[in-house]
Amino acid sequence: MSDLEYRPLRKQKIAAWSDYWQSEAARFADSYRDLLPRRITNAQLYGLGNVVRSARRYADIEKFVKHQAEKAGRAGRLDVQGYWNDLRSVLSKLRGEAQALLKTTPLPVEADSKQVLDALHRELAGLYVQHLVAHSLYWTPDEEEHKRRER
Amino acid sequence: MTRQSFQDMALRVALDRAIARTSDEHDKRAQEYASRLTATKVDKTQVRGLESLACTTDKVSDITDWLKLRVGRDSGRERWAKDGVGRDLLSGLDGLRNDAQKIVAALSKTYSLDTDQERQVHLRLCREFLKHLAAHFEYLKAEHKQ
Repeated sequence: MSDLEYRPLRKQKIAAWSDYWQSEAARFADSYRDLLPRRITNAQLYGLGNVVRSARRYADIEKFVKHQAEKAGRAGRLDVQGYWNDLRSVLSKLRGEAQALLKTTPLPVEADSKQVLDALHRELAGLYVQHLVAHSLYWTPDEEEHKRRER
Repeated sequence: MTRQSFQDMALRVALDRAIARTSDEHDKRAQEYASRLTATKVDKTQVRGLESLACTTDKVSDITDWLKLRVGRDSGRERWAKDGVGRDLLSGLDGLRNDAQKIVAALSKTYSLDTDQERQVHLRLCREFLKHLAAHFEYLKAEHKQ
């Protein structure tokens, strides 16, 4: 497959993947709703978003998430540590998704498959985090409002 | 012209027609959202920003993430979170998926369709809806000023 054919096909596959996985990321955010926004703060979520956007390799994202889990563990915040560990596991499993996507889009002949896989993994992780951050922040004001009314 | 390219062209025309018809059907609803938005502090730049994002992205999730972030950031409840307008708009855009399903189901009886077609039609319906919304919003804003 030529590079000209490969690029739009890749773009379309990733867009379809992203739209499909939005609900998965929302489910993850909802399963940790009790930690938002006090235990997992908006600043942490924005930080995660920034790291994912600027990461050059998937390992940079992994390093950040691992660091957050370790930091929470040292502070004895086991619930927060659990959140970051689970997120790390979910993001790491996206490598399988990247591999599956690559199987359906044959690479241009000159491409380095290892590099392409890592770049795609990083891109999928970025999209997952984009959905996760948006959905996590989305419900926060209502929760706050609810608590305010209860008080 | 080969049979395949003729089929592709016929499908494109049928899709355009079905999308245009559905788009017209939702114009009134877009106007209602525009009217609700004029009662908030949301300004033209944000509505235009949403419209242009919809026109340039290839993902429906980019549009909904954008809206979720705006609702989430509006802790003062004066803009996208005011009276649930942002949430209702999100549900409205999500509801367009049903229209996309209907369009694709109807066309699949005649044409062979890509597995991603429904998602792409949904995206086009979102674009159409937000185009109406932005136009009504600007019009209503100008009317309020006079």
